[in-house]
Amino acid sequence: MKIAISSEGTDLKAQVGHRFGISPYLIIADLGTGNFEAVPNPGSLGQQGTGVQTIVLAISKDVKVALTGYCSPAARRHLEANGIEIFTGLTGTAGEILESYKKGKIQKAKAATIEREPGKRVVNKAIFIHAMKRSGNQFTSMLPIFLGVVMLIGLLNTFVSRDFLAALFSGNPVSDTFLGAFFGSILAGNAINSYVIGGELLQYGISLFTVTALIITWVTVGLVQLPAEIAALGRRFALLRNGICFLLSIPIAIITVVIVNLVTR
Amino acid sequence: MSSVNKENVKKSKDKKALGRMFIFPVCVLVIYGILFTIDPHKSLMALKASGNILLTIVLPLVFVFVIMLVLNLFVKPAQIVRLFGKGVRIKGIVLSVVAGIISMGPIYAWYPLLKSLREEGAGTGPIAIFLYSRAVKPFLLPVMIAYFGWTYVVILTALTVFAAIAIGCFMSVLMKE
Repeated sequence: MKIAISSEGTDLKAQVGHRFGISPYLIIADLGTGNFEAVPNPGSLGQQGTGVQTIVLAISKDVKVALTGYCSPAARRHLEANGIEIFTGLTGTAGEILESYKKGKIQKAKAATIEREPGKRVVNKAIFIHAMKRSGNQFTSMLPIFLGVVMLIGLLNTFVSRDFLAALFSGNPVSDTFLGAFFGSILAGNAINSYVIGGELLQYGISLFTVTALIITWVTVGLVQLPAEIAALGRRFALLRNGICFLLSIPIAIITVVIVNLVTR
Repeated sequence: MSSVNKENVKKSKDKKALGRMFIFPVCVLVIYGILFTIDPHKSLMALKASGNILLTIVLPLVFVFVIMLVLNLFVKPAQIVRLFGKGVRIKGIVLSVVAGIISMGPIYAWYPLLKSLREEGAGTGPIAIFLYSRAVKPFLLPVMIAYFGWTYVVILTALTVFAAIAIGCFMSVLMKE
């Protein structure tokens, strides 16, 4: 069985890491062979999303038990949901903690979040409340911009004439689709906004080709996020991917609308 | 950097992100304010039009929340990463598509994870498939259906998955893997 100990250093003399997600190293000890290895903790960078990487690392190393000073409730839930038992409140060196664990001296912290029965998964109250909070946060975080978009559309409905908007588009499916793809590429945000904008554009008589291209590129092409994508995945990857996605959005939009028209005829 | 400092930096970033979310709606409100002084009647009509749009999507929004809740209850980020394919083969393709579809949240939150997956040897194909498959949003389907209908949504979703796979293959070839 493998055990992960959050650690400040690379050997068993190092002090246990104060926090599981952001300690510099994880010492992975194999109780069966007695071997251990120190793995740099991706979470130590402290960037957004890196806490998840620590959990992923533990899972990928087939760890069954995690020993640390402190672990956030969210990380604890993820670890336990993936079958990793976690013990917190530990101090001393990694070697001392490992010995204590071997001797059965470490008591499990009381924070069971998921109870498992063979072949059955039970969601308890704590997990449900956590999911409600998370969903609430996700939902409310998209609301301000969504409401702004709805209010903006209200303005457009009232102040901008259909003729003016129609004049922006030539009526040619290819060029209008291209224009829709262009707008979708430069606009960003939750996809729900593209549906609302697209739906209202249809009311203005803008073609479904244009609206479909806008919806596709809204999510798949991101000029606003391009610097972040370049930083994460490289310039060549980001430019190629965004370029191909943009070009592909036009035939996909045209094919979609053609099939829809054939089916609904 | 100490863990306390890191938490402070994170809190500060969260506050900034929260502030940025309100810039756009506040700008729209300012435009309303200006237009109200010029043409109060038309501005009120615009507000009424916005209210009507909201009314039409209240019910789909309730479904959006319910689907979000179900996904949050049963799908964990770590499980999504487990699904992530490491090669452009049938299993890798299917898993990358599924991972993209069930992933939630803004794309920039996923970049650090994708970066580390890339460094651990994940191919460009599966990453491109994952990014494109995010265009399928199960939790937003009620709103999409309300606006465009079932037929359109089913066809666009199927073609999006097809396009995701095509992009994955293109990227694998072009990045010379």
